[in-house]
Amino acid sequence: MNKLLRTLIPFDIAKGLSITGKHFAKVFFSANRRKVPFHITSEYPEVPAKVQPRYRGRLTLLKDEQGEIKCVCCLACEKICPTQVITIEKGKKEGRKMPFPVRYDFEMERCIFCEFCVESCGFDSIILNHQFELAAYNREDFSIGMEGLAQNMYEPTPVGKFSVAED
Amino acid sequence: MFKNEEMEINLGPQHPSTHGVLRVKLRLDGETITHCRPMIGYLHRGVEKICENQSFFQGQVWTDRMDYCSAVANNLGWAEANEKLFGITVPRRAQYIRTMLNEFNRLASHLIWLATHALDIGAMTVFLYAFREREDILDMNEAFCGSRLTTTAFRIGGLREDLPPGFEKMVQKFLAKFETCLEEYENLLSENRIWKKRTVGVAKLSAEDAIGLGVTGPVLRAAGVPYDIRKAFPYAAYAEMDFEVPTRTEADTYARYLVRMAEMRQSARIIQQCMDGMPEGPVMAKLPKILKAEVNEVYHATEAPKGEIGYYLVGEKGSGNPYRFHVRAPGFINLQALPKMAEGALIADIVAAIGTLDIVLGEIDR
Ligand code: SF4
Ligand code: SF4
Repeated sequence: MNKLLRTLIPFDIAKGLSITGKHFAKVFFSANRRKVPFHITSEYPEVPAKVQPRYRGRLTLLKDEQGEIKCVCCLACEKICPTQVITIEKGKKEGRKMPFPVRYDFEMERCIFCEFCVESCGFDSIILNHQFELAAYNREDFSIGMEGLAQNMYEPTPVGKFSVAED
Repeated sequence: MFKNEEMEINLGPQHPSTHGVLRVKLRLDGETITHCRPMIGYLHRGVEKICENQSFFQGQVWTDRMDYCSAVANNLGWAEANEKLFGITVPRRAQYIRTMLNEFNRLASHLIWLATHALDIGAMTVFLYAFREREDILDMNEAFCGSRLTTTAFRIGGLREDLPPGFEKMVQKFLAKFETCLEEYENLLSENRIWKKRTVGVAKLSAEDAIGLGVTGPVLRAAGVPYDIRKAFPYAAYAEMDFEVPTRTEADTYARYLVRMAEMRQSARIIQQCMDGMPEGPVMAKLPKILKAEVNEVYHATEAPKGEIGYYLVGEKGSGNPYRFHVRAPGFINLQALPKMAEGALIADIVAAIGTLDIVLGEIDR
């Protein structure tokens, strides 16, 4: 009898619908629905997304107070990188005792953003910045050279020439 | 006039309900499955071989990419296997943090299982609700280690950094609402007649078959075998935790659903205990300059959300790389049970069977 009643009257479906209805009402009738964006979703491209302070983004070469690249070419980061993304060429610069990288190549398409390189650097000369919009149109755009890496870490990732077809 | 013939069809590898690139070869007699063989290998990257060519330190990043829904659990197994190999003791605070993150990862993995499994069967609402909670866990991952999915969370010997400021608040906020969220899922599913019709008595796997096939994790526990490595061979800080191993005896899809829901409650309990009893101290052990192996081979098993994940490592004298590295992936072994579950069932039930095994192809193919 009980079972028959339960089959005839869809209690279970009513229960489920009440949950979805409750959530709908909560959002729809909230007083400041238009002012405060509902906390679960964010309107991402219009409202910039926030990342946590430890976020691992694109590799950046840091500069010291004189505006010189801090890296001293100890090659620790090159060795530790699990995907062999970094290539460094040692060189000299006028008026600097420590070696200076002539080339610091970083191929972002293979980087897996593990932060091992930052961890291995004993001179605090690299960091992973907070950028996550790293898409590019061409493969060459992912080979970021030294100038690109040494950019201010809050500036957007430099990309090469775009090859948008012209008509 | 009519011929009685069996038909062979492929399910996948691009079928949305196969959770990746799994191809299942089915032979059908009408709607009944008479023969079922999973075909794997579409996502093979050779993780084991890559790790053999990389140092012990670097190997961890590949374990993230095996079971990407439970990367922290994979990291934990890898770190502990290495610590066993080198004879390192991890500080207590690091153990607690590891345990906590591992349980968060179990929640995330079970939530994604619940979401996709319900979606496969046709309950769309749960999908969105479960992803809402998973998002909070991924945010915590991001706050702790800087990445949401491929975490690389631990280091051999402990952790890279301590918990970030404000982490405790995030955890408490999550735990405060999680119980209500679980009730919400249960209200949506447990009594739902469509859900019950699609799961009760579907894809049965008896305890004998499960043990015979080497199945572990919630699938084994839903068959009534209370085997959980966290209890049987405690690792990290599980020996100090008070929790139960939920089991059921029905051994069907619905029982597995109940087991996983109960497990989520236990995970929340463990996280609360970790937060309450969090000891102070360092999070990284003092490591020798050069890691020297004390024994030259280890097998270390941990309880990943999907079952027993085991790392087999062979060290070599004077070498920084593992000589041999092998992963006992839970999904790979659990997938063996699919023919047993599906043969004789209807074709619509194979979707439930794949979902209930909770497979991730990144781990099966490695
Ligand atoms: S983040 Fe990892 S993969 Fe990327 S450059 Fe650094 S070490 Fe290499
Ligand atoms: S580890 Fe640091 S100092 Fe050494 S080469 Fe890399 S960036 Fe330069």
